Parts: sequence; structure tokens; C-alpha cells
Amino acid sequence: MVDRAPLARSPIDPAPPVAVVDGWEVSDRQSSAALRIVDCTPLAKVLVRADGDGEAARTLDVGFGNARRDAAGTLVVGDGPDEWILLAPPGSAPTLAQRLDNLASGEFVSVLDVTHVRALIRLTGEDAAHLLAKVCAIDLDEQVTPNGAAFRSSVAEVVTDVVRDDQASARSYLLHCERSFGQYLFDALLDAGNEFGMDIDGFRPPGI
Amino acid sequence: MTTMLRAAGSAARLGPQPGEVIDRAHRFTFRWNGAETAAYAGDTIISALAAAGERVFSRSFKYHRPRGLLTASFIDPGCLVQVGKEPNVRGAHRRVEAGMAVRAQNVWPSLRYDVMALNQAMTRMLPPGFYYKTFMAPRALWPAYQMVLRRFAPGGVVTNTRTDAYFDKRYAHPDVLIAGGGPAGMAAAVAAADEGAKVLLVEEEYELGGHLRWGTEADLATLRELRDAVAANERVEIMTNSTVAARYDGNWVAVAQRNLRHVDERLIKARAKVLVVAPGLIERPYVFAGNDKPGVMLSTAVRRLINLYAVKPGDRAVVFTANEAGDAAIADLERAGVQIARVVDARRGGNLVRARGRGGVQEVHLADGARVEADLLVTAVGWTAPTTLLTMAGGHPVYNHRAARFFPSEPPEDVLATGGIVGDGTLDQLLAHARAVGAEAARRASIRARNLRAGNPTAPSVDQRSPDSSSSSIPDLPIDDSPALFRSATHGIVDYSEDVSSKDIFSAVREGYDSIELAKRYTTATMGPAQGKLEMVNAIAVHAEAAGRSIAETGSTTWRPPYAPVTLGALAGRAFEPVSVSPMQPWHERHDARALIAGHWIRPDHYGDAAAEVRNVRRNVGIIDVTPLGKFDLRGPDVPRLLNHLYVNKWSKLAIGSVRYGVMCAPDGVVLDDGVTGRLGEDRYVMTTTSSGPETVWRWIEEALQTEHPEWRVHVIPVTAAYASMNVAGPNSRELMCRVVADVDLDPEAFPYMRVRNGRIAGVDGCFMWRIGFTGELSYELHVPAAYGLHVWETLLDVGRDLHIGPFGIEAQRIMRLEKGHFIVGQDTDALTGAFAAGLAPLVKLDKEDFIGKPELIWQEGHEDILHLVALQPVDSSVVPPEGSQIIEGRRRIVGRITSSRMSPTLGRSICLGFVAPHLKEPGAIVTVRLPDGGHVPATVMEHHAHFDPEGVRLRG
Repeated sequence: MVDRAPLARSPIDPAPPVAVVDGWEVSDRQSSAALRIVDCTPLAKVLVRADGDGEAARTLDVGFGNARRDAAGTLVVGDGPDEWILLAPPGSAPTLAQRLDNLASGEFVSVLDVTHVRALIRLTGEDAAHLLAKVCAIDLDEQVTPNGAAFRSSVAEVVTDVVRDDQASARSYLLHCERSFGQYLFDALLDAGNEFGMDIDGFRPPGI
Repeated sequence: MTTMLRAAGSAARLGPQPGEVIDRAHRFTFRWNGAETAAYAGDTIISALAAAGERVFSRSFKYHRPRGLLTASFIDPGCLVQVGKEPNVRGAHRRVEAGMAVRAQNVWPSLRYDVMALNQAMTRMLPPGFYYKTFMAPRALWPAYQMVLRRFAPGGVVTNTRTDAYFDKRYAHPDVLIAGGGPAGMAAAVAAADEGAKVLLVEEEYELGGHLRWGTEADLATLRELRDAVAANERVEIMTNSTVAARYDGNWVAVAQRNLRHVDERLIKARAKVLVVAPGLIERPYVFAGNDKPGVMLSTAVRRLINLYAVKPGDRAVVFTANEAGDAAIADLERAGVQIARVVDARRGGNLVRARGRGGVQEVHLADGARVEADLLVTAVGWTAPTTLLTMAGGHPVYNHRAARFFPSEPPEDVLATGGIVGDGTLDQLLAHARAVGAEAARRASIRARNLRAGNPTAPSVDQRSPDSSSSSIPDLPIDDSPALFRSATHGIVDYSEDVSSKDIFSAVREGYDSIELAKRYTTATMGPAQGKLEMVNAIAVHAEAAGRSIAETGSTTWRPPYAPVTLGALAGRAFEPVSVSPMQPWHERHDARALIAGHWIRPDHYGDAAAEVRNVRRNVGIIDVTPLGKFDLRGPDVPRLLNHLYVNKWSKLAIGSVRYGVMCAPDGVVLDDGVTGRLGEDRYVMTTTSSGPETVWRWIEEALQTEHPEWRVHVIPVTAAYASMNVAGPNSRELMCRVVADVDLDPEAFPYMRVRNGRIAGVDGCFMWRIGFTGELSYELHVPAAYGLHVWETLLDVGRDLHIGPFGIEAQRIMRLEKGHFIVGQDTDALTGAFAAGLAPLVKLDKEDFIGKPELIWQEGHEDILHLVALQPVDSSVVPPEGSQIIEGRRRIVGRITSSRMSPTLGRSICLGFVAPHLKEPGAIVTVRLPDGGHVPATVMEHHAHFDPEGVRLRG
């Protein structure tokens, strides 16, 4: 019986040097560029489907179009009507899913680990919005999509979920799309970010 | 090697000017028709050439008459040049760069001696509409005409070898977008921003300022103040060297941006809440004989040359003036040392008759009979209001005979206008108007923004207080009287871009083109690169004169997008062509897989020899990457009801651990998709679809759940990319599986055909596998969390080496599925293939309560007059009829077609699937297949769809 320790890989080629973090092959590159792109695919991603007016929704306490961190530091995103996605450090999906299974007793709730479904990319830097404006038609103004805004749109013509999740007061966006498009989206963002001097940064846990 | 360097500091270059934009500290050279020429940073291509003494920059469209500077601006029709591989560059606008290779366009053998100038002798043979009159017959000669006409086609040389070009797009959402960065545009921008609006200020020139840039000391002081105010306001984004190209419904405004370092041209797709149109006025040329000779310039052109580029436009000038602009040009010319030979003041009855000269102006004939030697003739007769954007917003320009120009009508609520386009007055009056318009634009934008935010879940909560709903007071601008000067007593050029003369328009009217819209199309006046901005009013005035009507009665032509040409590159932008790849794609690439593009997926078609891959699967074991198979996670107590609704077969009794094949039909009974669905738990199922079907099926499912049965408790989550999917097929597959699968009893009794199991594969948890396959072999379809796909794939290949494992691609799979007689939705079915025609009668359960397509399928069941899908084997086993070959009866009656065909490596013969008419569907029937070369091959209808192992012994092993 072959039962080797598996190595998890992102759909996005890691920029060298490469390291292994929580069983994931990741880029260990260090960048201090003003605008940085990071492959955050290893983050745990758990999807919740439930009635938007039900007990589960009240417990999650995040409306459609918004995102916020809960007490445990998990980023809870109101991803769509009656739909949430929770982002947490790598490897935490099983615990998170277990916790969510008990969200609402007697209510029809589905919890699914979608870590492997989605490629996840973070853009950080003041020019992140300018970059996104080249590939996404949504208004990224503070008055329309402030920190904590979440929306689904076309980014470089790929259906992508975008979450404004500023980091240490720097503008930052999380973008996730179906995993198979991950490398394409990453390359499209790199191309768009070239004029802003964007650089690839490595993934450092907890990453969220 | 050039022998002479034309210096930037030649005789035509003046000393420093107060408003000059050239940087005298930065001097370099470029090449003009091969000759090295000096320039200063800030020069345009043409200003540098003019400074070097050049007077002719191009040849005209039809007659190849020499053309020089007319406007010294973006729209100058005589200054289109080729720069390197870039054709049709606006030389009077584009800033020259060190090392630029600039050439005149469409001249042969040279700009100076252009053979095609012989066309001037053929003027009488080139009347308006001569294309239509000359080349209609005989039709057989049209190819010859084309060859000749192509030689005469204007414009530069387009190349497809340019690899350094970069074009892209950007979205913008300004509160207020201001088209025009002159004094009115700047004042409006500051006012709007001061009211809190986010402003996008777009200016065609390289700097803000409009006519203030070549104005008086007072004008320059005002310009500095305005520029400082704009620059100091963070809410104003400035785009210079950019053009507002179009305005569409909902204030969707297209801006062509060119002031970027790494981008040739960018298309800004702006959703402006309010558009402010402030383009200023465009000086109108005067129509008279010789008005296109080099040396005839507009007053604004000479003022630009002198004040911005420090270039002396000539030595001895005649100035024909009807307004203050002409008077100011006289002052500038005198200051520049140009001798004013004569001032002809239209306000005192003066007029021109013609300009004469070889290669440029040498003599000017006046209406009073005088003939004045001059190399420069400056005209200042009036203005054109470029109402283009307002017309695109639904407005109609209205002619004012007092001002002798068109004015915009009342624009819609989300569009405002300011500046010279609206009226005249002092600079202070213009600025006051612009400030009021800017403030009003901000007020209207805030109302729109508030309404938009109210329906937006991501926006912060809206201030419940209503914004100020009372509109700001916008002062009226006075309208000055201006003489109606359009054409002299002689005929001259009306459209410089298209070489259309006033005589041509008279001729068109005589031929019956008494509508200005028709005459425009017939003569092509206003249809050249200047797009009517210089010539429209003159064309209307001349047409009115010829038709004996007033300009107001004649009306105007319609200005349509774009306002100025936009490159095809900017319209195309980046090549966004999303592609999907599986986690095993790096392995496929390393092993020379030939790529197959299947929708957005890149898949391995084969690894060199598809037939060998088939043989290996039949004898040993192979693995194929089937990740693109559509996959959905279905949860909830009502999943069986959903499945019953979607599929034609029954799903109520699917046991946990079982999988079932299902077919979906559209309401018309046509086969939509197929796949297997397995039950993994009490309320958990996984559905697979065809590789091309997941998007369609998801829409189908959501329509059912959201509109037809919202009461069903079902959650459907697309998980196609969540799993790396691979099929392990062949007689050795169980042995291979035993080496990598933990926690699952692989004994055929414990894990038989059409069952599903959850388990751990090669150390990876969270996998599920089902015993199905498309190849007809003992096979296992493995679904592995995607991040571990490559790990599992490589492990299988590693541990199966002694079992002779090998990868196989789509082509091998297609051969094997054809050997097994499995149809492919979309290949063996089409948009008319019903379930019964596809041979699915045993699957269709019409006794179910209801399902999509049931009424139509009930009807289809009773009808035998449909084509039937059958397996076919050509009698000549070496002939493989191409897919799509017709099956015929008699000489030409079509009674079917081949849908799939291959040479079977397993059977050593050709095999097919195809549709045949009902009377040919019985086993043993011989049909005739017509081949593309006109030959025929007989083929036998087989008993089963499967050519190989019809009993399914191998797959159930």
C-alpha cells in the first residue's frame, strides 16, 4: 500500500524560492514592492449555504456584499444571496466546517470545504484598485466598495469573487475564482500590474 | 547617410516665447524622409519640421496636392505621417521623440515629386461619386479596378509585424467627466471637485489650458492659476493627450487615453454620473481658390506655432480677419518678425479671391483687385462649435445666424455644456459660467450617486437626508455677432481630408442630392480623418448656397462616435481569453501531450500515438485526466425530487453507495446532457455532467430550484475544479488500485460496477471513486481534492510501472468509447436529437410523475418517422468515412449521416456511429455512405451500439 505524505499544490506556479507551509507548496519570495500579489490558495475556504433570514445567517452576522472578521479571526464573506464563504489559515477547514455544522439546529444548512474549489489571490498596495480598474468594471471607490465590501464580477473575463480586505491600512483585495482558472487570472493580474511595478510576494501563514 | 542636419535653431525658430512648451535644454534629432532633423523636447513632429524650414508634409487624398500646416493641432488634415510602423500619426499633435523615423505617407517616388499628382490634371474625370459612376461595369473588370485603386488608397502602411504594441482598457466611474481642459473645463472641474465630486478632466492636447496657452500675459497668468487649482485638487484626475471619443446611453463615455508610458493607447470605459462638454471652439477655414496651398493657415495655427513652439510661420503675410482672433494673430506675427504685407478686414468689406503659387502660397489675390506677394496667408473668419458629444446625447445643433455658427440644443439631465460651445463673452464671464456648470454637475452627480448607492449591498449606508434638489443658477453667456463668411467668390476645398471642393458640392446638388445627409455620403465631405470638425459648417453653407436655401433650413449632418479615431488596438484591449487547466497539466506538458482546446479547457489529446494508448488500456492499464467533467455537490432531502425533475430516468431509490447513469432532455425532448450521479450519503449526492455541459446544467438546475420549485430543500454547489478527476482503466486497474487505495474493499463483490466509495488514495483523504468508465474496461473514476491531483497522478504512474501503466488522452478515449458504442452529446446528437432517436428508450420513464421534456417525449414515443442512432461498420474495413458523411439512398436522397468514425485498433477495422432513416435501422441493413471524394462505401447496420464487448463482460469484471 502506497500511502505517501501528499503535497498540496496551488494551480498557480510558485515563484522561486519555493517552500512547504502546512503541506502546501508555496512561494517563499520576499517582496517589498508597493504593490504585491500573493497566491493565497492554501487558505482554508468553507462555503455555507443557508436561508438568509434564518438562524445561521443571524449567527454569521454578515450580509450579502459584505465581509468581516469574526472573533476567531476568520474572514466571513457574504458571498451571494444565502451564501457565505469563510476564509481561515491553511489546514483549518475541517475544524471550521465542524464548527459550522452546528450553526443552526433544525435548519437546512449546507457546509462544504471548498479549499480545493477556488484559487485565491491577494493584491495589496495603494495601486491595487487602479490595477483592478483595468480588468474589472465595478466601481472601486470608497463610497461604493469600501473596506469589507464583497462582490462577484468579471475580472479579466473570469467570474471572480472580490473582497476588499485592507491590510494594516493598506488597500488590499482578495480575489478568488474557480481553481482551474487560477494561473490564467494570476497571469492576467501580473500583466495588468506591470505598469505599477507589481511584484510577486510569497505566502506567509496565517495568510488571513 | 544624411548629408545635412536641419537645425532646431534654424531661421524659422524664434527666440524664447512666454508660453512656449519646448525645452531648449533638451535637443535631439529625428529623421524625416531619411533626413536627420533637429528638434526640442516639446516640439510636435510638424513644429520641428516647420522650424527646420519644411513647408509640405503630405499629399492630398485624391489629387495629391501638396499640403502643409492648416490648424497646427490634432485635427490638422495635412499633417498625417508614418512614424516607424505606425501609420496615420497626427504629426501636428504628436510630440517628436529622439530617433523617430518619420515619413510622408502614400507618395511615390517622393513627397516632393509625387507621380500621383498627375491626378490634378484629371480633375474633370474625378467628379463626386466617380467610383459609382466609373466602376459599375463591366463587373468582370472589378478585380483589375481594385488593384489600381489600392495603389491610390490613402494613408500609411499597416504592418502586422509589430510586436512591441501594448493596448489595454480601464474602467472609470467619475462623478463628473469633463470633456475639454481649456479654461472652462478647468474652472468647471475645480468647482465640481470643490463640491465634493470625483472629477475626470480629459484634454486632447498635451497640456491643459486651451487657447489661454497662446494668449496674452494676462491669459497666461490666468492659466497658471487654473492649472494650480486643478493640480491642487486631489479629486480631479487629469488625462491629457486623451480624447473623449463617444458618449452612449447612461453616460457610458469612451475616452482614448494616450499619455501613458507603457501603453500605446488605452480605452477608458467611463460611467460618468454627469458629463460636462467643454471642448471650446474650432476655427473654421475659409473656402476660396487655393485655400489648401501650403502657407494658408488659420489664425489659431500661427498663434500656436509662434507662442507654443517658437516657430516663425512665414516671412511675409496677408491676414484676412473677421474677428479678434485674427487681430491677435497680426500682433503675434509682428512680434515674431513676420512682415504683414496686407491686412484684409472682412468687417470693413475686404475679401479674398484666391491664393496662387507653386508648391505653396506666393501671391494672394484680393477682392479689390490687388495682388499681394506673400508666403503666408492667415484667415480668421469664424468658428465651429464641436457639438459632437451633445449630439450623441440626443441633442440637435441649432444654427444662429447672428453668430454664424451652430449651438447645442438643451441636453439631457446628465449632460451639461460650458465654454465657447455655449456662448461668447469675456474670459471672466466664461469662467463664471463654467464654475456654475461645475457646481451644478456635482449636485446632479451627488443625487445620482445616492440613488445608485441605495441599491448597492456593498456601499456604506446612505445618508437619509436628501441632497440639495434645487439646481444652481447658471448665468447666460452672451452671443457675439459674427459675419457669415464661408465661401469667397471662387471655389476651393471644403473637406481637406477627402479632397472635396465646393464645386463638388454644387455638382452634387445639381445631380439631385439636395439633402445634406445624402450629399455628405455622395461627396464624402466630412467623412475623412477630421470627421467634420473643420469642414462640416462650410459643407452645409456651400450646400445651402447651391440649393438656394438658408443654413437653418439645410440643417446639419449627424455627428456619430467616435469623436476622433480610436486605434483598433485600444478597442480590442488585452487578449482576455480565460483558459482552464487541470492540476495535472504541468505533467501533460512535460510529457509532450498534444493539447486539445475543448471550450475553455486545455486537455491532452494524446501523447504521441493514440492507437498505442488504446491497445495498452485494452491489455494493461491506462489513466486519463478527466478533470473537466462537470461536477456538482448536491445536498438536501429533496435531491431525489430534483434528479427526477432533471433526468428522464428514475432516481427515487438510488441507494447510498450507488451511481446511476442519467440523461437530461430539454422541454422539447432533445438530449441536453448526460452523466452519472452517485449517492455519497443520506442527503449528499455528486452529479457529473459532460465536460462541455456544467455551465448549461447549472443554469438548468438553478432555474428549476429558483423558479419552479423554490420550496425544495436542495443546495447545489459547483465543484468541477474541486476535484482532480482521473479514470484508471484496463484489466490491471484493480491491481493498481489495490496498491494506492486505503479503507475501501476493492473486491468485485464488495465494490461492483456502478458503485461509489469514499476513501483515501495515495495518502490523500477526502477522495471518492466510482466504478464506471467510458472505455468499456474494468475502470475506476477517481476524484481527488484538486491540490493533490498531481501527487496522485504521479503516484499511480510510479506504482503501476510493472503493470505497464501509461497515460491516454482524449483521442484514445474517443476511440474506445466508439468501440463500446457510447454516444457523445453534441457530437452524436444535435439540437434536434430526441431521447428516442438517440436509442434511449429503455432509459425514458414516462410513468414518472413529471420531468423536463416529458410531454414532448410522450409525443415522440408514438412517432417512428425519426432518424435512429445505430452502429455501422463499413464493408471495406479499411475505409473510415469522415464524420459528417451523408448516408444516401439512390443517387441523392439523404437518409442519414455518420456522427462518429474511427479506425479501431482493437478490432482492426473501421467503426462508426450514425443516424439512419427508420427503414434502415434494423441490424444487417446495408446503407450507402457517400465519401467527400464522391465515392461510396457500403456499411452494415450492427445489432448493438457496441462494436466491442457488447455484453459488458470486461467492464463488470
